[in-house]
Order: sequence, then C-alpha cells, then structure tokens
Amino acid sequence: MTKITELPRTVKDWLLGHKLRAAILALVLVVTTPWPARAQFGLDPCCALLAAGLASVQSALTSVVGGGLNQILGVDKAMQQFQQTVVWPQALINQAKSLVGLLQGNFNQIQNLMKLPVSSATLPASQQLEQVLLSHNPNQIAQTSGAYTALYGPVPAPTAASPQVLNMVDMTDAAAQAAMKRAIEIDALADLELQAANQLNQSIQNAAPGSAPIIEAQADAWLIRANAYTQAATADLMRLRSIDLANTSADIKMGATNTTNLRQALANLLQHE
Amino acid sequence: MQVIAYVVFFAAFVWLVVTVKSRRRLIAVTLTGVMVMTLVGVLQPAQAQSGMLRGIQVILSVINGMIQTALTSINTVRTAENNLQQLVAWPQQLINQAKAQVTQMIGQYRTLMSNTFHVNLNSATLPNPQAFEAVIRDHQVNNFSSLTTTFGNTYGLIPVATTANPTDRAMSDMDDALALDNLKMLKASDQATDIELQSADSIENAASQAAPGSALFLTATAIVSGIHSQALTQKMLAAELRQEAARLAHRNTLRKENATHTTQLRGVLVNLLQHQ
Repeated sequence: MTKITELPRTVKDWLLGHKLRAAILALVLVVTTPWPARAQFGLDPCCALLAAGLASVQSALTSVVGGGLNQILGVDKAMQQFQQTVVWPQALINQAKSLVGLLQGNFNQIQNLMKLPVSSATLPASQQLEQVLLSHNPNQIAQTSGAYTALYGPVPAPTAASPQVLNMVDMTDAAAQAAMKRAIEIDALADLELQAANQLNQSIQNAAPGSAPIIEAQADAWLIRANAYTQAATADLMRLRSIDLANTSADIKMGATNTTNLRQALANLLQHE
Repeated sequence: MQVIAYVVFFAAFVWLVVTVKSRRRLIAVTLTGVMVMTLVGVLQPAQAQSGMLRGIQVILSVINGMIQTALTSINTVRTAENNLQQLVAWPQQLINQAKAQVTQMIGQYRTLMSNTFHVNLNSATLPNPQAFEAVIRDHQVNNFSSLTTTFGNTYGLIPVATTANPTDRAMSDMDDALALDNLKMLKASDQATDIELQSADSIENAASQAAPGSALFLTATAIVSGIHSQALTQKMLAAELRQEAARLAHRNTLRKENATHTTQLRGVLVNLLQHQ
C-alpha cells in the first residue's frame, strides 16, 4: 500500500533524473499511439469502392425498383383509365340518373291518372255502394255487405224458395261481395305500390353505381309482391266466373227437375179427371 | 484488440527504457521500440468500410432478389387483373356489340310495334255508337262528361220512377255506373299505357348509349316502372272484379225475384184450385 502511494513520487523522481529517457518515451508515445481513423476525402481507394457500391445501389434502385414500380403504375393507370372511360364513365352515369329523374315525371302522371274521380251513379242506393267500392280504403270493406244488400236485396226467406235456390243465391251473393271487397283491397294495395315505387325511384336518383343494385334488389322484391297481388285479384275474378258457370249449370239441373215434377203433376191431374 | 496489444508493447518498451544501462543500448531499444510500436499502433484499414461494402452487397442482393421478385409478382397480378377486366368482365368489343344490338332492335321492332298498336279499331256504323266509340277510345281524361252523354245516347237513361220498380231502377243505375266507371278508368289507363310505352322507349334509348356502370340505374328504374305497370294492371283487375261482381249480383237479384214470384204464383194457383 505504501509502495502504491509512493509510486507517483518515485516516477517523478525518475523522470527528473532521466530527462532524455523520459523524452524518448514521450516522443514514442506521441508518434505511435493509434488514433481513431478519420473520414476519407476521396483519395482513399476505400472511398472509391464505397462510391461504386452506392452507385450500384442507386442503379439497382432505379432500374429494378423504379422500373418495376413504373410497370405497375402503367398497368394501374391503364386499369384506372379503362374503368373511368369504359366501365364507370361519370358522364353516362349522370345521364342515366337524369333519365331516372325524367321517368319520375312519367310515374307521377300515371299516379295522377289513377286518382281521377270516376263515380257515375245517380240514385242513393247505387251511389252508396259505388262510394264504398271506389273508396280505395280497406276500412270501408265492412260497409260493403250493407250497401250491397240495400241495392241487390237480401237472401229470400226460407219459405220463399227451395233450399237449393237459397243456397245458390247465398253463394252467388257471397262471391259477388267477396269480389267487391277484394277490389277495394287491390285498389288500396296498388296505391301503396305506386307510393313505394316513387320512393324507390327517388332513391335510385341519389344512388351510386355500387348502391343501385341494392335498390334494384328491393324493387325486384316489390315486383314479386305486386305479381302476387295481381294473381290474387285474378284468382278472385276466376272464382266469380266459376260461380257464374256453376249457377248456369244449376239452372239447367233445376230446370230438368222442375220439368219432371211438372210432367208428373200434370199426369196426376189428368188421371184424377 | 489493437489497443490492448499496443498497451502491452508500450509497457514492455517502458520497462526496457527504464532498465537499460548503456546509452548505446538505449538507442537500440528506442529504435526497435519505435519500429515495433509503429507496427502495432499504425492505423488499421477501417473495418467499418469493408463492413459497409458488404452491407451494400447485401442491399443489392435484396433489391435484385426479394424486391425484384415481389415487384415482378405484383406486376404479374395487376396485369392479370387488368386483362380479366378488359377481356373477360367488360370486354369493349362485347359492350359495343350489345349497344349495337339495342340500336338494331330499336330499328327492327319499335316502329313496327307502334304501327301495329295504333291500328284504328273503331267499328261502329251509326252516329250515336260512333260518337260513343270515339270517346271511349280517345285516350283522353278531360272529356268524361262527353262519355256520360254519348253513353246515355247509345244505351238510354235510367227509367223514371213511374215507369219501373225501384229495384230495377237501382240495379240499372248501378250497372250503368260501373260500366261508366270502368270506361273512365280505361280512358285513364289507356293514357297511362301510352306513358309507360314512352318510358320503355326512353329506357331502351338510354340502354343503347349506356356503360356497364350506368346500366345499373336503367335496370333499377325499369323495375320500378314494372311495379307501376303491375299496380295499373291491378287497378284494371279491381275494376273488372267490380263489374263482374255487379253482373253476378244483378242476375242473382233476378233469381231472388223469380223465387219470390214463383212462390207467389204457386200460392195463387193453390188458392185457385181450392176455390174450384
């Protein structure tokens, strides 16, 4: 420990005592100490290698990366131009939307035509029934039977006709009333369809090419629904005609029975005389 | 590593300088030390530069390998997508062909169908029916009063109260009313049909100029037009239902009256036979 503390003094004493040797050591230390390498200034062959490497990188970036990206850009530009000019041209899209707006005018005209008043009856009973029939209001369906009976009369009393005739009369009245009620329903449904169709058409005017198919799908659904209602109306019309045909057939059957009965009654009458 | 070697050699040099005895040996040690220390402490070629060159080569190999491969693959995919769009999905030639077909069919059918549809169907020969027929087929909705007048001139008016029983008058009025209602509605629907045909023509004209992206709007509005058309058909069917129902009801009322009259007649006959 004592030697360590005395070491600087010993060294100092030695340096003062051996100035030449101390100078030699200092000179050698200064001259041979390895200093950190400094940046190159282009004269070093390493810098030339580095510059060549960087030039290669630049060349590779330009040719490989830049060239590849340019090719992709070229393809993308071609796709964009194709889509803008051939598939989705803005001018034609606007033109189509403008036509949709013009057609809305046609739809409005049709809707107004369907609202024209057409009632024509002049007597109270017929006016009342006609008013119900042309009401387009499902809430008035319940009044149909009353107005119908007021005009066409009720089913005869059981003593006033044979059961067969009574059945026929009741069934015919039922079919006629049901058809009238169906007509009111169909009118109301058709009004709602026209209203919905107008809403759909306005949506189309505000749609994008990507959203128009969704509205189109909904319009398709409405069209199917409308077809179903048309079929229901056609079915009721066919029912009416079936009842009419059945009535004609029943008239023939009853006529044959009545004729037979009459012949029998006449034969009995002649036998008694 | 170089620094450690330098420190070791420098320590040995210091020890030799300190311990050497003669001046001649000091000079020899000094010269030797300078040479050795110079060799040990001389600036070494920069390790960083050779590492950088290797790095540049790595970068070049990445650019020429992985990046070039990736870019080539992307380019291949994009080119394939472009070809798919232009040759399969929306081939310009077929688009033009479709548009040309629309135009060709317009020329082939439109005038022919229009001429067929507008053939004059009027067939009445006497003045009143002629006037009535002209009104019911004129596609106008502003002359309903003329319709009522010409209808009355052709089919007569409702009997006055003193010339027919109330039931017959009411039924006759109802029959006439429904006939007139329907005739008025048909005038309106004739006009609506004309408008529908105009709409169809407009949509078809637009189709001949459309692009795949704009045809969607035409399709959608054509379907909406179809809904309108169905609604119109339904209204006509409803009118037909009313008319058929009234006809059936009318005949049923006659049946009811027949039943009543038969019952009354049977009673009269029974009374007559009893009195004999």
